[in-house]
Amino acid sequence: MEIANAKAALSRGIALISQELTLAGDLSVAENLFMGRLPGTAGTVSWRRLRRAAAEVLDRYEMPVPPGARVADLPIELQQQVEIARALTVDPRVLILDEATSSLSEAAAERLLALIEERRAAGTAVVMITHRMNEIYRAADTAAVLRDGRIVASVPIPATPEPDLVRLMVGRELGDYYGRRTHAADPAVALHAEGVAAAGLLPTDLQVRAGEIVGIAGLSGSGKEVLGHALAGAVAAGGRLVVGGREVPLGRPTLRHGLGFVPEDRKAKALLLNRPVAENLALSWASEVFRLGLRRAGHERRRVAEAVRRYDIRTASPQLPAAALSGGNQQKITIGRLFDLDLPAYVLSEPTRGIDVGSKSAIYALLREQAARGAAVLFISSELNELCGVCDRVLTMYRGRVVAEFDGDGITEEAVTHAMVTGAPAAA
Amino acid sequence: MTVLDQAGAPVAPAAAPRRRVPLPHLGERGGVVAAFVVLVVLASLTLDGFATWANVVNVVGANSVALALAVGSTFVIIAGGIDLSVVSMTAASGMVVGLLFAAGAPTALSVLGGLAAGLLLGVVNGVLVSWVRISFLVVTLGMASIAASIALLVADGSTINVFDLPAFGALNTFATGTLGPVPIVLLFDVALVLVAAGVLGYTRFGRAVFAVGSNPEAARLNGIDVRTTTLAVYAIAGLAAGVAGLVSVGRLTGASPQIDPSLLNGVLAAVLIGGTSFSGGKGSIGGTVLGVLFLGVVQNAMTLADISSFWRQAVNGVLLILAVGLGLVRTRAQRRERAAARAVGSGPTGTSGASRA
Repeated sequence: MEIANAKAALSRGIALISQELTLAGDLSVAENLFMGRLPGTAGTVSWRRLRRAAAEVLDRYEMPVPPGARVADLPIELQQQVEIARALTVDPRVLILDEATSSLSEAAAERLLALIEERRAAGTAVVMITHRMNEIYRAADTAAVLRDGRIVASVPIPATPEPDLVRLMVGRELGDYYGRRTHAADPAVALHAEGVAAAGLLPTDLQVRAGEIVGIAGLSGSGKEVLGHALAGAVAAGGRLVVGGREVPLGRPTLRHGLGFVPEDRKAKALLLNRPVAENLALSWASEVFRLGLRRAGHERRRVAEAVRRYDIRTASPQLPAAALSGGNQQKITIGRLFDLDLPAYVLSEPTRGIDVGSKSAIYALLREQAARGAAVLFISSELNELCGVCDRVLTMYRGRVVAEFDGDGITEEAVTHAMVTGAPAAA
Repeated sequence: MTVLDQAGAPVAPAAAPRRRVPLPHLGERGGVVAAFVVLVVLASLTLDGFATWANVVNVVGANSVALALAVGSTFVIIAGGIDLSVVSMTAASGMVVGLLFAAGAPTALSVLGGLAAGLLLGVVNGVLVSWVRISFLVVTLGMASIAASIALLVADGSTINVFDLPAFGALNTFATGTLGPVPIVLLFDVALVLVAAGVLGYTRFGRAVFAVGSNPEAARLNGIDVRTTTLAVYAIAGLAAGVAGLVSVGRLTGASPQIDPSLLNGVLAAVLIGGTSFSGGKGSIGGTVLGVLFLGVVQNAMTLADISSFWRQAVNGVLLILAVGLGLVRTRAQRRERAAARAVGSGPTGTSGASRA
């Protein structure tokens, strides 16, 4: 069977509930529920019938929402429920949930699982994509484990114990790919956060010593990306932050205070895509490239040439727009321009997302080099193998809090995964 | 990918089998430059009085107002915005100049008053866009109407004739006089263009303008003050309107509250033809000068060829769509080539021209 597009899938009874909302924010709840199949005749819409049908659906799923409400005005959790209700109104034969509970509260997640139970009893096949162990054991009959783009195992639930399932999810040996640690960490704390909090992040304390690489693990929605944003001043945040012994104001960009930030979305937040490679590099070097507001063109040219060589940025010319480079080379720009400043502390969020293996390895080597120089590095990543391979310590976040800490031989993918999916370290 | 494209954009490590001469600036606007050269040659051969110094002086004079506005607009458009109010602000600040002259103010005060009026209106635009964060289209469209009304209200809709006033003499000389054979306003235009290009290319502020237009979030995270930069570009556009107001009063020997409705189109068309892009982060003063010259010469040639001026806007429109459209076709082709090169090799330098040869 070939499925050309979403409409074809729907007409065959396949419905998807995804983590990313696909609602039209400016339209009403009722219009969203029946999008693409509004009741009416000959191209006209019967608003009366739509309202009644929507009210019925909302009633059935016990959603406290007026059908006429504008979707964008609803809190995110109710929006997610509208998305769920929409998928269920088509009476699907196959229902796919892609991390659908990630933005739901416990109670709402519980209600969704109950609805799924009801569906299953009525004969719907359900595919649930999730990181959360308890959901699998609560709802599934079979768990398929996906790794490196392939299904590596399909095991019965609940017959398979949780530790076995976690092992299947990890299942790989680490080589020397990540490099080896060659220096002792300085006892001095270079990055010190106290009660740093933001939307999606509960007050968090954090200390990174000079020369230390600390990893942050967590599922999407665990607050690990928010932590990076809060420390780097990319979002409004409260609390106290000290970098290299000096107090840093929160909620404003921190580069000038010695904290370099590599955001997880380099195209949206880090690169000037239509500007030359040279300007992208110099973007972080304002204090050295400009004197009295004037550009020192020769100095800039030399530094750019040196950085292109040092960070192995493959480009035909530093005058090519950054958009012309591959993802790995773009990332070498965003990382290299900060590492070139020899700052006391760095926060890197998903620095290896979507780049090739060679560039990844180069980035790990650069991280080690900076740590060896005495920088404090906070390394936020969704890839457990790199976290475990590169970091001296790994903290695990769950629902906006740091819930576990691992160091030395305690850093294993099993242990970290367990804390990521359950919100607590495994009982020894 | 070694040979980037037919238009000769940046090219090639030394080992490339086929090598093109890099034409860094021509590459972007090669088509416009070529069209301009062809136009000048054709017009020189066929039109009496085209290739004369008097005609050059004429073209420069006729386009000085547009040039000042286009230079100011270039800053705004590179920063990712647009200012629809520049022509209205020109009329309003021109009226301020006229009123000051009529009230007997000395030259310097009248000139400063006109510049200050433009700057003030520009700052209002800038504050509303950057601090209050209203869409720049809304703010400058509103200001276009407001400034147009101000121009009418201050003198009850009448034109202020300043020709006889002694204080006006200096401004008149500035706008229409010559230094030897060279119009003073041409010297001023050259200075204006050099200063603007210098600011964009060689100052911290200039870089910030490009960065804010290209990616405001990346700019902000790297310590650029996005709001102040945005405010400044609208202030510059306002100041440019003040300058244009002065030139206009000087040339016309009077301040008129009437606005030439085609001027705004012409200014924006010139900036876009010059390679500055509405998507922000891309453009140059050199390109804008080229755009103004191109449209100015086309218009001049049409006048000399006795073609009805009713055609003027249509011609401008066609040229705009052609220039920007052809530029787009070219960038898309470049992007496809780069993507293809990446798919084959590991990066833009990863493969040799052999895969294509």
